[in-house]
Amino acid sequence: MNRPTPVVLPPTAGATTAEHPWPVRMLTAKLTEYVAKAPALWVEGQVVQLTRRPGQGTCYLTLRDTDVDLSFSVTLAVRVLDALPAPLTDGARVVVHARPQLFPRRGSLHLAADDLRPVGVGELLARIEHLRRLLAAEGLFAAERKRPLPFLPRVVGLVCGRASAAERDVVENARRRWPAVRFDIRPVAVQGPTAVTEVVEALHRLDAEPEVDVIVVARGGGSLEDLLPFSNEALLRAVAACRTPVVSAIGHEVDSPLLDLVADVRASTPTDAGKRIVPDVAEELAGVAQARRRAAAALRARLDREASGLAGLRARPVLADPHRLLVAHGDQVVALRERARSALRSALARAADDVGHLRERVAALSPAATLARGYAIVQSADGAIVRDPAAVPGGELLRLRLAKGDLAAWAEGPWADGPWNEADDDESDAEEEELP
Amino acid sequence: MSGDVEKLGYEQARDELVEVVRRLEAGGASLEESLELWERGEALAARCEQWLAGARARLDAALAKDSGNTR
Repeated sequence: MNRPTPVVLPPTAGATTAEHPWPVRMLTAKLTEYVAKAPALWVEGQVVQLTRRPGQGTCYLTLRDTDVDLSFSVTLAVRVLDALPAPLTDGARVVVHARPQLFPRRGSLHLAADDLRPVGVGELLARIEHLRRLLAAEGLFAAERKRPLPFLPRVVGLVCGRASAAERDVVENARRRWPAVRFDIRPVAVQGPTAVTEVVEALHRLDAEPEVDVIVVARGGGSLEDLLPFSNEALLRAVAACRTPVVSAIGHEVDSPLLDLVADVRASTPTDAGKRIVPDVAEELAGVAQARRRAAAALRARLDREASGLAGLRARPVLADPHRLLVAHGDQVVALRERARSALRSALARAADDVGHLRERVAALSPAATLARGYAIVQSADGAIVRDPAAVPGGELLRLRLAKGDLAAWAEGPWADGPWNEADDDESDAEEEELP
Repeated sequence: MSGDVEKLGYEQARDELVEVVRRLEAGGASLEESLELWERGEALAARCEQWLAGARARLDAALAKDSGNTR
């Protein structure tokens, strides 16, 4: 039977042999001790693969050498990450303060970091971002502060590089739209250490000119470092303080220096600025001509409407044919006259009838019939009718009215008293008897 | 009466003409009044036509002058 000899662990790694090895746990412990002696250090690299899980206090990233493909895993407290001015992007250059650490379970080595800072361009961008937040909080980017551009500026102030492409782009594009536009051009350094001072000075001068109604700050494209002056705090505050509207025309479409946020108008390029500061002459003249045509047409239409309305009124019968009024009255008069005449005729006819009737009655009452039967009416000279012979003394003229005429006779006196009476007694008695 | 028609503005004359036509068409006025109304209507219509002709002349003159200027 092999009784195991008491295990004697070699004190050092060098003392181990195949027959007297260390167990893994011994190696782990020893290495942990060894690694713990290494001091914390600053190491620079690129961030690749950043992992953070919600709710966890620690995040993990891989720090890779900028030139060769060697890397370390890094652990970092999440609050350090959150305290950064800008979120970490993949490939960002950083410096990390960390101590090497052995992860005992797997025996893997990593860096336990307690600080992380961006460097290089990352640092610059971070600084810009910080300034952006500061000025935004002060309200310098607020929409209410933006002044509208004048429709037609008397003079356009231009701050740009001497004889630069930016200058040419602004001027040519503006003149194409409005040939009469006037420029006041102030050439400045647009990058480097003197840029900020020169641009600010030019801005002040142009702002003080009363005829300059808009200022354009323009430069062509460049690297982040080249465009840095246009994210400079002093320059930005100078622009914010300008009373004249300022147009920012820096670099290309993708560039966004902070000047873009402070300016009253952001043009994507100098060419774009040239187009925005003046109106298009041809368009404006066409618009004016059209407005005049429309005004004249509207007035003509109004006059035509009024004229046809008037013609309509004039055509109304009461005005156009006034004879109708008179005709109506005339007809009425004729009708009335007819009625009058007809009434008169009827009255006359009635009267004639009446007369006719009366005549017949008179005729009926007349003594003519009696006279025709042989009677005579005896009238004395004064016209009185004689009924009594005693009333007529002898010798008086009598008028005898016979049927066929009047007879004059001299009265001899009453017949009964006369001499004739005796001679003809028999005849007269007979005659007397014959008389009815 | 035609004297005061001359002093009327265009809208006044036109509105009065409308009223005259309305009254004539409604009837009821005496013959004497109808004749007078009709005479006034004629005077008003003549005034309106005169005004419109003058306005057209002004417009045409102004346009002729302006198109001469912009050349």
